[in-house]
Amino acid sequence: MARKIGWAALLAAGLLLPLRVYPVLAADILAWALFATAFDIMLGYTGLLSFGQAAFFGGGAYTAGLLAQRLGVPYPLNALAAALATGLLALPLMGLAIRRRGIYFAMITLAFGQMVFYVVNEWRPLTGGENGVQGIPRQALAGFDISSSTAYYYAAFPLAVLGLLLCWRIVRSPFGRVLLAIRENDVRTQTLGYAVYRYKLLAAVLSCALSGLAGGIWVINHGFVALDAVHWTTSGLVVIMVLLGGMGTRLGPPAGAALVLLLRDFISTWTDAWGVVTGTIFIAVILVFRQGIVGTVERLLEARTRPGPETAAAVEEAASTHGG
Amino acid sequence: MEIVLVQVFNGLISGAFYALLSLGLAVIFGMLRVVNFMHGALYMLGAFGAYLLGVQLGVSFWWALIVSPLAVAAVGFLLERTLLRRLYELNVLYNLLLTFGLTLVIQDAMRLRFGIQGVPYSIPPQLRGAVLIGFMFFPTYRLFVLGFSVLVCLGVWWLIERTRAGMIIRASTEHPVLTRALGVDVDRWIPLVFAFGVALAGLAGVLAAPMRNVSPLMGADLIITTFAIVVIGGMGSILGSVVTGFFVGVLSALGAVYYPPAANTLVFVLMAVVLLLRPSGLFGSPEAG
Amino acid sequence: MQRGGAVICAILIVLGPMWPAAGQGTVQLTHGKVVLAVINDQSGVYADIGGKHGVEAVKMAVEDFVKKYGPNAVGGPIEVLSADHQNKPDVGASKAAEFYDRNNANAVIDVPTSSVGIAIAHVAAQKHRLFLNVGAATKALTNEDCNKYTFHWAYDTYMLAHGTGTEVTKRIGKRWYVVYPNYAFGQDMNRSFSAAIQKAGGKVMLSDATPFPNETEDFSTFLIKARTLRPGGVTVLGAMQAGQDLTNLVKQFNEFGLRQQGINLAIGLLFLSDIHSLTPAALEGTIYTTAWEWNMDRQAREWSDRFFARDKTRPSYPVAGNYSATWQYLEAVRRTGTDDPDKIVAAFEGYKFNDFFVRNGEIRKQDHAVIHDAYLAQVKAPGDVKEPWDYVRILNTIPANEAFQPLSENTCHMAR
Repeated sequence: MARKIGWAALLAAGLLLPLRVYPVLAADILAWALFATAFDIMLGYTGLLSFGQAAFFGGGAYTAGLLAQRLGVPYPLNALAAALATGLLALPLMGLAIRRRGIYFAMITLAFGQMVFYVVNEWRPLTGGENGVQGIPRQALAGFDISSSTAYYYAAFPLAVLGLLLCWRIVRSPFGRVLLAIRENDVRTQTLGYAVYRYKLLAAVLSCALSGLAGGIWVINHGFVALDAVHWTTSGLVVIMVLLGGMGTRLGPPAGAALVLLLRDFISTWTDAWGVVTGTIFIAVILVFRQGIVGTVERLLEARTRPGPETAAAVEEAASTHGG
Repeated sequence: MEIVLVQVFNGLISGAFYALLSLGLAVIFGMLRVVNFMHGALYMLGAFGAYLLGVQLGVSFWWALIVSPLAVAAVGFLLERTLLRRLYELNVLYNLLLTFGLTLVIQDAMRLRFGIQGVPYSIPPQLRGAVLIGFMFFPTYRLFVLGFSVLVCLGVWWLIERTRAGMIIRASTEHPVLTRALGVDVDRWIPLVFAFGVALAGLAGVLAAPMRNVSPLMGADLIITTFAIVVIGGMGSILGSVVTGFFVGVLSALGAVYYPPAANTLVFVLMAVVLLLRPSGLFGSPEAG
Repeated sequence: MQRGGAVICAILIVLGPMWPAAGQGTVQLTHGKVVLAVINDQSGVYADIGGKHGVEAVKMAVEDFVKKYGPNAVGGPIEVLSADHQNKPDVGASKAAEFYDRNNANAVIDVPTSSVGIAIAHVAAQKHRLFLNVGAATKALTNEDCNKYTFHWAYDTYMLAHGTGTEVTKRIGKRWYVVYPNYAFGQDMNRSFSAAIQKAGGKVMLSDATPFPNETEDFSTFLIKARTLRPGGVTVLGAMQAGQDLTNLVKQFNEFGLRQQGINLAIGLLFLSDIHSLTPAALEGTIYTTAWEWNMDRQAREWSDRFFARDKTRPSYPVAGNYSATWQYLEAVRRTGTDDPDKIVAAFEGYKFNDFFVRNGEIRKQDHAVIHDAYLAQVKAPGDVKEPWDYVRILNTIPANEAFQPLSENTCHMAR
C-alpha cells in the first residue's frame, strides 16, 4: 500500500513539475532521466561501463532533429525513428566493443564515442558541423499544438514514462536476471550455457536505442542540436548521474538525472564552477557512496526491516557486491 | 614526394607526444592495473607548471624540464596515496571513474584560475629559429622535441629492461603474488611507479608548452586518442605503446594531407580493425578480457 | 531562485506604473523594465575581442542614456544581464531562450562567433524578440538566416572581403592560399574572399579548413602546405582565423619563416586586441578592413577616452558597436514610447543615423543590415607608434553603399 502511494506521489510530482521548474528544464529532466535509466541497463545490470553513450544520445538527437527539419516528420515519430536508428548504430559499435571486457570495453567505447564525434563534425552537409542543426520545428502528430514549452512537456511525458517502464521491464525479467548473472561473473554464466556475448549485445542495443529515444525527446525540446550532444562530456555526465543516483536501482538513474540538472541550473546562476562541483560530488560518491543516493537509502531501509546479526551480515555482503 | 617526407616528419613530432603519454599510461596500467584517465590533465599541469615556473620564478625552460615533471609526480604521488589506494580492492573500473572525476575537477579548476584560452609560453632562446631540411625550413624547437622524446623513450626502456628496479617492476606487473612470495615489498613500489608514469605525462606537457597552446583543456581530447593507442599497441606492452604512438602521429599527419576530414578518425578506425583481427593488440599478449 | 525572481518581477510590475516622475506615462513597458542581455565569449578564443569589455560597453551606454534623459528615460529601470556562450551554438541558443523566457529580455546584444549568432537569430525569430548582433561576421544573418527581429550591426564578411581581398590582390599578390576555421564564420569568409579575390584578378589556388575549436593550436600542417603548393607556389597566405587562433597562426607563420620565403600574410579579420597581443612588430604593414578605430577621429577618441577611464583598455570595434546598438535601441524605445518588439522593428527599419561609431549609417529595411562607412587600415611599424595602443593608420574610407553587400546580390526573404 505504501508502495502504491509512493508511485502515485511520484507520478503526481512528474505531472506538476513544469509548474515548479522552467518547463524547458523540466522536459530536459525527462529526457535525461530516460537516458540515465537506459544506460543503467548496461552499467548497473550487465556491468558494462560504456563511456561513449553520447554517440547514441546525441546520434538520436541529430536523427530526430534532421527528420523533423528536413522531412517534416512530426513528434513522436521522429523520436521513435531516432531510437531505431541508434539501435542499428549500436549493432556494429557495441558488437565490436563487447569483444573485450571491463576496462578495455570502457576504453573502446570512449574511443568509439570520440570517433562518432569526429564523424558528426566532418559530415557537414548533413549535420552542419560546428554550426549544428538550427530551427528544428516542433510539430505533433494529429496536429496537436505543442509549440509552448509547457505543452511540449506534457507531450514528452508519456513517451518518457513509456521508455522508463520499458527499461524497468527489461531488467525485471528473466532476461534481466541473466544480465545480473553476467555482471557478477560472466565466465561462470557462459559455462552455465548462456550465450553471454548475445545477451550483452542485446542489452547494449536496447540500452542504446532507448538512449536514442531520449535524445529525440531532448532535441525537440530545444529546437537545435550541436556538437556538445555527441561530446564525451555528455557521456561522462550520464555516468555521473547514474552513479550519483544509484546504479542497479529503478529510481536511482532518474533521481540522479533530476538532481544533476537541477544542481547545474542552480549553480550556474551563482558561479561558473560547475565542473569542479560536479567532479567533487562524483569523487565523493565513488569513494564513499558507491551505491548512490537511492542505493544507500534502499540499503538502509533493508537493514532496518531485517533484524538479526547473521542476516544483517548477509545483507551487508549482498549489498556490497551489488554495488561492485 | 618531398612534401610527404616533410609531413611525415611533422607527424613524428606529434607522435612523440602520443608516445610519451602512452608510455606513462602503459607503465601505470602494467603495475597498478589503473587506467589513469587523469593522464591528459596531468600533462596539462606539466605545461602550466613550466609556465608558472617561468612567469613567477623566472625559471628557464631547461630547469622546468626537470622541476615541472617532479612537481607533477608529487601531485600524482599524493593523489595515489590519498584517493586511488582506497579502491584497489574493488573492480578496476572504480579507479577509472575516480580518475575521470579528478580530471573534471583539475581541468575546471585550472579553467577558473587561468581562463580557457590559455597562457603564452615562448620557445627557449637557444632553440629559436629554423633549420633547413631538404627544401623546407623546420623550426629548431620541433626537432629538439623529436630528439628528446626518443631519448626519453630509450631511457625508460633501458630503465625497465636493464636495471634492478625495472626488473622488480616487470616482475610485480606480470606475477605480483609470486614476487611478493619472494620477499619483494610490491606495495612500496606502487606509488613510485605511479609517480614515475605521471612524471612522463608532465614532461610531455613541458615539451608541448612552447609549441602548443597552454590551456586547461589541452589534454582533454589527447587522452582519448592515447587510450586508443594503448588498445592498439597492447595494454601491457611498453614497446607497443611507443611504436604505435609514433605511428599514429604519422598516420594522422598523412591523413591531414590527403584526406583532412578523416585525419582525426583514422586512429579509431585502426583501433576497430585491431579489435576485429587481433583483440589483444599488435604487441600485446593474449590475456583475459 | 525562481521564486525570488518572480517576486521581484511581481513587485516591479505592480509598482512600475505607479512610479512618480515627470514625463512618466510617455513610455509603456511590457514588463515594467527594459532587460538587455549580452551574450558573448567571456573565457574562450574570442574573449579579448568583446567579452567583459563588451558587457562594460553596454552598461556604459545605459548609464550615459540615463544621465542624458533622466532616470525615467524609458519609463522604467534598465537591467543588463550577461552570459558566456563558450563559442557553442547550443549553449548560446539555450541562454538566449532562457533570457527571453525567464528574464523577459527585450533584446540580446553582441554574440560573436557566427554559428552562435545564427542559432540565436532563429531563437529570436521564434520568440519574437529583438536580437542586435554586433560581434559575428557572417553575412548569413542578413541573407539566408535573416528574419524580422534580427539586426546585424557592426561589420560582416562582405565588408571584410571586399575591402581586404581587393586591396591585397591589387597591391601585394595574386596567388592565394586561404586557410579558414571550419565553422559558419570561416566558411563564409572563404566564400566571400574567394569571390573578391577573383573579381580583382587574383586566383585562389587552394583553400583549407582548419579545425575549430583547434585544441592543439598547431597550424604546422597548413604552413608547410603553403610552402609546397604547386605549380608556381603562392604569394599570399590568406588567414581567416580570428582571436586566439589568429595569434597562434601568426606566431607559427613567423617561426616557419614563411615571409622570408616569399609568402605574404593577409588577415581577413583583425582587431585591436590582436595587434596588442602580437605587437606591431609581428604584423607591421598588414593591410586590413575595419569598421572603426578608437583614434580615427576626434569623436571616436572622445568616446574611447571615457571608455578607457572605466575599462583601462582601448576597445576593439565590436565593443564600440555594443554601445552604439544599445544606445540606438534605447533611443528607439523613447521615440516610439513602447518596448513592443514589432514597433521597435518598424522604428529601426530605414532609420538613418550617425553616432561616434556609425558614420553615414542606415538600418536597411530589406535585410536589417546596419550599413556605414568602413575603412582600409594598416598596421604601423613599431617606430611610428606614438602612444600606447596607437597601432593603426587609416588609409582611406570606403563609403557605406560600397562597403556592404549591394541589395542586388542579397538573398534575404524580407527583401522580396
